[in-house]
Amino acid sequence: MNLVRAELLKIRTTNTWWIFALISLPLWALTLLINWLQADALTSNAVTDLSSEQAAQFEAAASPDALSSNLFTTGQFFGLLIVMLLGIIVVTSEFFHQTVTTTFLTTPHRTAVMSAKLAAASVLALLFWLVTTAFNLIAGAAVLNAVGVGSQLGNDAAWRAIGLNLLAYLLWAVFGVGIGVLIRSQIGATVTGILLYLGGSIGAIVVISILAARWGDWINNLQLLVPSLASSLMVTGADIPGNPPRWAGAVVLIGYAVITGLVGTLLMRRRDIS
Amino acid sequence: MTDGQRSPTSDGQIVVSGLTKQYKNVRAVNNLSFTVAPGRVTGFLGPNGAGKTTTLRMLLNLVTPTAGTATISGHRYADLADPLRHVGAILEASSAHKGRTGINHLRVICAAAGLPKQRADEALALVGLTPAAKRKFKGYSLGMKQRLGIAAAMLGDPRVLILDEPANGLDPEGIRWMRGFLKNLAHEGRTVLVSSHLLSEMQLLADDVVIIAAGQLIRQGPVDQVLGSMAQGARVRVRTPQTEALTAALKAQSATVDTDEQGVMLVGGVDAPTIGRAALAAGVELHELTTERPDLERVFLELTAGKAGIR
Repeated sequence: MNLVRAELLKIRTTNTWWIFALISLPLWALTLLINWLQADALTSNAVTDLSSEQAAQFEAAASPDALSSNLFTTGQFFGLLIVMLLGIIVVTSEFFHQTVTTTFLTTPHRTAVMSAKLAAASVLALLFWLVTTAFNLIAGAAVLNAVGVGSQLGNDAAWRAIGLNLLAYLLWAVFGVGIGVLIRSQIGATVTGILLYLGGSIGAIVVISILAARWGDWINNLQLLVPSLASSLMVTGADIPGNPPRWAGAVVLIGYAVITGLVGTLLMRRRDIS
Repeated sequence: MTDGQRSPTSDGQIVVSGLTKQYKNVRAVNNLSFTVAPGRVTGFLGPNGAGKTTTLRMLLNLVTPTAGTATISGHRYADLADPLRHVGAILEASSAHKGRTGINHLRVICAAAGLPKQRADEALALVGLTPAAKRKFKGYSLGMKQRLGIAAAMLGDPRVLILDEPANGLDPEGIRWMRGFLKNLAHEGRTVLVSSHLLSEMQLLADDVVIIAAGQLIRQGPVDQVLGSMAQGARVRVRTPQTEALTAALKAQSATVDTDEQGVMLVGGVDAPTIGRAALAAGVELHELTTERPDLERVFLELTAGKAGIR
C-alpha cells in the first residue's frame, strides 16, 4: 500500500497528469460532436436503398441501446490513448530521469514495485474514466433527448457499456505499463504506443478487409486481435450482426493486458540497472 | 531487520566475496573479495572502468552478480527487511525527476519506505538545503543535487553509507563540507564506503582503502599501511644556506642526499630529528625541515600501472 501511495505521489508531484487531462478535454469535445452528428443521422431515417443485411446493421446501430452506449462512452478513442500513454510514462520516466536506481534501492523487491506501478496506473485510469463518464452522462443524455429517444439513463445496455468502458480504461493503462517496460526509452515507447493504437487500428482494418475480400468473411473476425478494435467492439451497446461477439473483445484485451503486465514484471525482475 | 537477526560481529560490516560480473565481452569484476569495517571511512579506489560502480551496484542488488556474494551486516541487500533504515546509498547525482521539487523527491522515497513525512524536512535541513526545498530539481546546481542525494541517503538514518564518486562536480567548499560530513558519520560508528578516483581527496578522508584495477583487488588495508608497504623510505626535505656543510655532515651518518637546482635537499635514510641534531652539531642554519610522506597518488599509480585503461 505504501508503494502504491508512493507511485501516486510520483504522478501527483509532476505536471504530467494535468497536462494530459488538459489535452483530453478538447479531444473529448471533438468525439462528442462526432457522436452527436452520428446519432442525429441514425435517427433521422434519411438513408434508403439498403440491402437487407445493411438494413439490419443500421437498425441495430440506431437502437436506443447502441445509441446510448455510444454516447455514454464518448471520448473512449482518445481516452484510452491517454491512459495508455500515462501507463507508459509511469515506467519510462523512471529511466528518463534515472530515478529507477532510487526506486529499487528503496524497494529491492521489484515485483512489488511493478505491482504498485500497475495499481497506480489503474487508479489513474479509473479517475480519467470517472471524470469522462460524469461528463458523458450529462452531455450524452442531452444529445439523446435532442434526437428524441429519451435520456436512456435507466438503460441496462448503456450501463453495461459504461462498465465495460471502465474495463477498457484499466486494461489500456496496464497495457501502457507493459509497453513502458519493454521499451525503456520515453520517446520510443510513446511513439510505439501511439503508432500501435492509431496506425495499428487503421492499418489492421485495411489489411483485414483486403484479406476478407480474398479469403472470405470469416477473416473479419480477426479484427478482434487488434487491441484497439477489440476494445471498441467490447463497448458497443448491442451485438451488431456480422461483428464478433462483444465478450470476445473483452477476452482478447484482458489477454493482452495480462501478457504485457506479466512479461513486463518478469523482465524488470531480471534486468541490471546500471 | 529485527534485533534477533543482528549478529554483533557482522553488524554494519560489508563483506564482498568472490564477486564476479561477466558482461558479453568483458569481465567487469573478477573474483573480487574485500571487507569494509564499521566506524571507519573506506575509500574504494580504482582507475576509470576498473569495476567500482559495477561492484557497488551488485552490492545494492541493482546488478545481478555472475558469481560470488556481497552482504551488508550478513545479509544480501534484497533480504534486508527495511533497506533504507539500514543502508543509504548515493549512486548518481542527477537522479531525480527534473520537474519535481526537492522536498517532494524525498517525500516520495519516504512514502515508499514507510518513513514519516517529517524525515524529508529533517534530511533537507541536515544537508542545508531547506531554502531550496520547494525549488524544482532542474533548477539545482550540481552541488545542490549532490546534497539532495545525501539527504535521500540519510532519510532512514542508516548505519551503512555507500557513495559512488560523491565529490564529482563539487566545488572546494562542497568537498570540504562532504569530507567533514562523512568523517563525522564514521565517527558515530557508521560504515562509510566511498568510491573515488580523486586520490588526494581520499588521502584526506579515508581511514582504509580498497584498491582495484581491471576488476581485481590490488591492495586493501589502512591507508598508512598501504602507503608504508610501498614507500621506498620516507624522505625529508631540507633547506639551508650551507648546503655543502650539511651534506657532508649527513653523509657521515650514511644518509642519501639529493640536491636540486634551487638548493633544496631531499634526504633519505635518516629521520628529521637526526638531521636536526646533525645540523646543530655542525653549526648549520636550517630554513626548512619537512618529512615528505609518500602520497596515495604515487602509490596508486605504481600499483595499478599497466592495469588501467580500456578493456
